[in-house]
Amino acid sequence: MIDLRNVTYRYPSGPMILNEVSLHIDAGEFVLVTGASGSGKSTLLRCLNGLVPHFSGGRIGGQVRVRGLDGEPLDPVAVGPSVMSGVVGFVFQDPEAQFVVDRVEDEIAFALEQQAVPFFQMRGRVEECLHLLGLDALRARRVESLSGGERQRVAIAAALALRPRVLVLDEPTSQLDPASAADVLDALLRLNQEMGLTIVLAEHRLERVIRYVNRMIHLRGEGLPILTGTPREVLPQIELVPPLIALGRALGWDPLPLTVAEARTRNVPIAPPSPPIRPADAHPGPILAARDIHHAYDDTPILRGASLEVRPGELVALMGRNGSGKTTLLRSIVGLLCPDRGTVALDGEWVIGRDPADLCRSIGYLPQNPDDLLFADTVLKELLVTLHNLGLLDAPPLNPAALLERLGLGAYAERYPRDLSVGQRQRVALGAITVARPRLLLLDEPTRGMDYPAKRELVRLLDAWRAEGTGVLLVTHDIELVAHAADRVALLEDGVIALDGPPAEVLCARPHLTPQIAQLYPGTGWLTEEEALEGLR
Amino acid sequence: MRDVRAWLLWAVTMLIVSSRTRNPLYIVLLLLALAIVDSVYTPRTQRGRTPSPFRFLRYTVPIAAAFNAVTVHYGEHVLFRLPEWIPLFGGTVTLEATLYGAINGLALTLIFAAFTILNRVTPVHDLVRLAPKALHESGVALSIALTFMPQTTRSLQRIREAQALRGHRVRGLRDWLPIVVPLLVSGMERSLCLAEAMVARGYGAVADRGQPLRTRLLLALGLMGLLGGWVGWTFWREARAVALAVGVLGVLILVATVWLAGRRVARTRYRARHWTRGDTLMVGGSLIALAVAVLPVPFLPVETLVYSPYPRLIWPEFSPWVAALLLGVLAPAMVAPPDEGGAT
Repeated sequence: MIDLRNVTYRYPSGPMILNEVSLHIDAGEFVLVTGASGSGKSTLLRCLNGLVPHFSGGRIGGQVRVRGLDGEPLDPVAVGPSVMSGVVGFVFQDPEAQFVVDRVEDEIAFALEQQAVPFFQMRGRVEECLHLLGLDALRARRVESLSGGERQRVAIAAALALRPRVLVLDEPTSQLDPASAADVLDALLRLNQEMGLTIVLAEHRLERVIRYVNRMIHLRGEGLPILTGTPREVLPQIELVPPLIALGRALGWDPLPLTVAEARTRNVPIAPPSPPIRPADAHPGPILAARDIHHAYDDTPILRGASLEVRPGELVALMGRNGSGKTTLLRSIVGLLCPDRGTVALDGEWVIGRDPADLCRSIGYLPQNPDDLLFADTVLKELLVTLHNLGLLDAPPLNPAALLERLGLGAYAERYPRDLSVGQRQRVALGAITVARPRLLLLDEPTRGMDYPAKRELVRLLDAWRAEGTGVLLVTHDIELVAHAADRVALLEDGVIALDGPPAEVLCARPHLTPQIAQLYPGTGWLTEEEALEGLR
Repeated sequence: MRDVRAWLLWAVTMLIVSSRTRNPLYIVLLLLALAIVDSVYTPRTQRGRTPSPFRFLRYTVPIAAAFNAVTVHYGEHVLFRLPEWIPLFGGTVTLEATLYGAINGLALTLIFAAFTILNRVTPVHDLVRLAPKALHESGVALSIALTFMPQTTRSLQRIREAQALRGHRVRGLRDWLPIVVPLLVSGMERSLCLAEAMVARGYGAVADRGQPLRTRLLLALGLMGLLGGWVGWTFWREARAVALAVGVLGVLILVATVWLAGRRVARTRYRARHWTRGDTLMVGGSLIALAVAVLPVPFLPVETLVYSPYPRLIWPEFSPWVAALLLGVLAPAMVAPPDEGGAT
């Protein structure tokens, strides 16, 4: 179906991103493309429909061929993405950025209108796409009123309208909560199995997708040859893998289990009966105490009495489905909105009604999109701007250059921030809000789009700050990150903190939040492969 | 959901009716009718969440009443006097002028509420689809612009908040830099992403045939006719009939040109629904109300639409027949599909 031979690609005035890549994908395969940030995953995907080089410019070499509808191979580089749209459907990371019109049905019909498909045929195709993705009930809804998972399903349906034979998706679940991500991936599996659609998907969170795919392509970057094969063939050769695979490797399981169900059928050592619950309440009094927060948007209650505490040196993970009110709670805490009811105290002092610009000396808030913060010419200047805003330029609480070193950005101090990778931009933004040395950090989904090494770096950094007494409130959908890093988990459901306690208790109380290791060893309190290996020793 | 053309006629009817009447009794009646239509077409899940189209009332009525009161110094019931030396505002402030201003405010609310409902129940793309095929590309651009604007507003809000959280305050022009730069960059990135998404979905795959010389000549001829008609009508008073004929001919040629040009555009249009009996009833209701407002309907006291409190306050006349026929604008509420609760 797809054939790449010795493909090389270099962005204009950039380094070589694909180097002699050769691979073959058969019709009906479900392929996962992995690799570190900047390894060329998105570039590879964009080569399949000609967006590279038609949109990106740069120099491409080698041969890319995709079998067309008449069985003849098409060259995306020669014919371009418009012509390839009938063969390759493409779904981008952010569904909102790809919607052209405002209603679900119209969005699906857009591609058909452009191709002048006759009305009655168009109607049939729209119905087919709505049905395939389970969107019949949402057909007349405005896309802005849909949840994250629903939006992504609409984006997939829109990409399928021209009945392509290949569906390419660039990190389609990176912004979704675990349940919504599972909905999207289940829909993809159905398309693959029932319609024989070839699916090529790039994703960082392997634990989410590995059980769906039958083939992996791992880009190692830096000009190294790619790894390709079944997940069992490729995973042993990758350094950072999901916890289950890491455990299997450490215990020498062969072949490696890809799912918890598979692992259970193997020679699993019997777990000891007493669960080692990690202490969570060893911290002194709270830095942050938010009590009984109520907030409604246009009379629809979002928060109905949420209460939360963060103590010095503690990392609290705030979890909940998309739209459950996590960001609203954070905004209430930092003063971006005034809750209808409730109190927020910082070190015992009431802060509701105070100007956010005053609060930011005490509270560092990292928004979901780091690009909202970045505007200066250099990375170093981003930090200096915050100090200037707060009148701390003459006596900075932290040395900006030293902070950049600590963030792993020392070498990038004079670079333009927006030229950096997602993970690096995230760290620049983190530097810009922490240079005033706040006592409390609020991080809103900081690992979105980050690869495993970047996440590991972030956790290391947070651990260092926590050791100095900084409290961290982390909003995330990343279960394995929470299992590794959190002291406590607060679960926001129906506007209130439904569960608040040690990760082992809260995560295991909801099946869709249970980490892989906890699923494999229920009742032990183990959440990470390190804990499991320690317990099994 | 009803057909967008039926909704458009309904909104135009509301616009014309509210411009034609200043009878407060009819205006209040029409506001009540709009409130019913609004409640029927607001999905149950959205009730309380969607801003009411009548929120405008709180501002228009007092502002219009106050403005008319201090600028129109006419009427028998003098409330108080403003010093004569104040230009424009100086003089008597009368009950009649205040009341007439308030009625104007009610009429403005009527127009605003009707178009708010239209905006809520009709997707932008459906309205754009009504444009002639020859203007397809402009229609797509307009669709995108209308979808893009709310996204940009949200971005602006987000960026302002993000900058405020690093101590940024807007005091002067230079302080807008941290807001404008991320807004422009994110807007450009989003545009590029949207362009990629559109091309990846086949935008531009079907090439339109170029317009032949004949169409271009017709376009020039039509424009010349229209311009000639307008110039003749304005400056050549003796031959206004000829000028009118030339102008109408120009318009007809332009319409024909747009139709001919549209035939060469290889695009189709998706319509989610067929025209139904409900749409016909809605058009019927709107046309009845429109007829009452603009036609001298025999045996009907349409003069009751006109009301003036000057020079002395009088009770407005009211005809139940006129009121009943104006309530044709209630038709959308009567023919609302059962699934309306989740449809918009």
